[in-house]
Amino acid sequence: MNNSTAIVFALILLCDLLLVSSSRMMHCIRVTAVQGLLLGIIPFAVRGWAIPEIGSSGMYVMAFVNTFVKCAVLPALLLLAMRRANVKRELEPMLGYAASVLIFMLLTASAFAIGGRLSGSSDEVAKMATPVAVSTMFAGLLLIISRKKALTQVIGFLVFENGIAVFGNGLMLEYGLLVELGILLDVFVLVFIMGIAVFHISREFSHIDSDRMHSLGDIHNDTTEASAAIFSNHAERG
Amino acid sequence: MFSLLLKILLAAPFVFSVLIFIFRRSRKAIHLFFGATAFSHLILTVWVLLLFRSNGGDLYECGLIGLDVMSAVILAVTSILFFVVFCMAPRWVDAAYEVEGTGRPKEFERESVFFGCMSAFLGSMTLVLLSRDFGLMWVAVEATTLMSAPLIGFHRGTRSLEAMWKYLLICSVGIGFALFGTMLLAKACQSGTGESLGLSFASLEAIKSFLDPVWFKAAFVFALAGYGTKMGLAPFHTWLPDAHSEAPAIVSALLSGALLNCSFLGIYRFRSLAPAGMERFCDIMLIALGMCSLLTAVVFIIKQRDYKRMLAYSSVEHMGLVIIMLGLGMDTVLLLHIAGHSLIKMSLFFVAGEILFVYGTREVSAVHGILSKRALDAALWAIGILFICGAPPSPLFLSEILLIANAGPYLGGAVLLLLFVVFAGMTNVMVKMIFPGDGTEQIEPRDFSGRSFLSSVPASGFVFAAILGVVAFIYMISFGSL
Repeated sequence: MNNSTAIVFALILLCDLLLVSSSRMMHCIRVTAVQGLLLGIIPFAVRGWAIPEIGSSGMYVMAFVNTFVKCAVLPALLLLAMRRANVKRELEPMLGYAASVLIFMLLTASAFAIGGRLSGSSDEVAKMATPVAVSTMFAGLLLIISRKKALTQVIGFLVFENGIAVFGNGLMLEYGLLVELGILLDVFVLVFIMGIAVFHISREFSHIDSDRMHSLGDIHNDTTEASAAIFSNHAERG
Repeated sequence: MFSLLLKILLAAPFVFSVLIFIFRRSRKAIHLFFGATAFSHLILTVWVLLLFRSNGGDLYECGLIGLDVMSAVILAVTSILFFVVFCMAPRWVDAAYEVEGTGRPKEFERESVFFGCMSAFLGSMTLVLLSRDFGLMWVAVEATTLMSAPLIGFHRGTRSLEAMWKYLLICSVGIGFALFGTMLLAKACQSGTGESLGLSFASLEAIKSFLDPVWFKAAFVFALAGYGTKMGLAPFHTWLPDAHSEAPAIVSALLSGALLNCSFLGIYRFRSLAPAGMERFCDIMLIALGMCSLLTAVVFIIKQRDYKRMLAYSSVEHMGLVIIMLGLGMDTVLLLHIAGHSLIKMSLFFVAGEILFVYGTREVSAVHGILSKRALDAALWAIGILFICGAPPSPLFLSEILLIANAGPYLGGAVLLLLFVVFAGMTNVMVKMIFPGDGTEQIEPRDFSGRSFLSSVPASGFVFAAILGVVAFIYMISFGSL
């Protein structure tokens, strides 16, 4: 493994750290964009910056499309959703920022401890890529679980998805151009639909705090409330 | 010829979905294209299945798509279900407008989104069933989430929005785990054989004894968690009761009857790749998860106060049973169970939707005496609940008996006990709703006399289920096994 690969992986981890410790939406979206760029660099770094061969040109096209979507298109969508829903920062996270960073550090350490043992083989890149991928997935999940704003949860999902992509790119797994395009399309449509949902939530609830959405469920189900707001015109009860 | 037919089957729903979005100004056009989706899909499916049968093979493959016995049966179930939903849908939408009190709107934006997404949803489910590549299958399963999310949010209230958000987030993260599992599988192949062979079923099946066991173990666990989330297996089922109770009844019927089966196929594919030494590990995982689902369903069915949620938990229970059957290697019984469950659950959701329209509440405690006011609904509700609990001649009776007989004394006994508790819980709710209560908190049903034809669909659903059960029983008697 060359030095530049290690640097790229380290930068990805740094992005995770910035994400879990930041409260400003704008900042988070920018860091996600940078992470998307780093993700696009991985295939080149892993192959030692080799000049493209004729046969593998598909891979380079794919890397370019991937970088473009993750670095430009998705952050732009998030920015749009942020403006529309009029939200700037995550005010009261369920978990404080210091605690988030601490937990993330612990998770990363355990990922490196387990990942080093899992790959076992002489493959140096796999030993590095697996824990970095798993830590990035952890960072995404941490954002989804411990933050209240729906938009931060979308960012969390994107980071989670980036983590999976780090694994695929870092280990040079091949699964066909069509499948890669399909995965990218799915992620794009998902962020798009989630952006629309964030907008609707901000309008309907007058907030986008997903933790205050708890009218559904088996334990909190309030009997008087449960007769559905949808059918409110028909709630004539004695 | 056959491969062309499969491609048309795959493309048709997406094409019609686009047409629905293009012609969104005309209500007639929306319904016409939606009908075309259902009709063309059913006819093409029948054609494909007849050709598949006459070819005599168990497997047909052509590049990324193909068909095998398991996916053929689920394809037939999905297509029939969608056709029935099509018969109900336009009138259902009218009834929903009536209940919402807004009347039929001038703009059909909302209807075009609903029917367009419904068609695309069918298309993505077909892609799940026809794909012969782990990567493509993942893309298709994720697409089903995306296309069905707007369907769940159809009613547009705060509660629908909440259910839709939960569905999107939980399922996407769950499916994300399945993607990680798929990549781990590629890694298992890479480190086992020394080269990347792609993710097609055929190439992986050919080298399955060379798969690296450690990586495969990790891949299977992640795939099970991922596709298990979508399939509604406990403890990953949390999105399911909310989505099923908030979605319109026709959508709940599709989610429960068709979507869960498609996600099951994901787990089935991973399981069938298990190398010789790993089969036991996989089966134990499957049975443990199945028992967990069964137990969760039992707990929540007993104390359930919402009859639509009760049906949702019943889906969790039946998916648990299916996964236990997979763990025990009972593939044919499992198909019978899937087909029976889909038919009966779909019809039950229609009856529940009818009751919801008439009474305007999902509370069990507020609905009394359906029998005296709407006898037909009461009869259908009772038959449905008994059928879903496995009373003969339901096909579920046969599959559950075979499961208990094959599972051995401990597992079989536990399953039998849990099934009995489910039966007690569900019939308790059913009896409370059908017979007159103590008179407190009565809701007068609204008059839907003009809509009694809606009942004929669930009725025929139960009749078909009963026929399926009887035929399977006769088949088993005459051939000694299924």
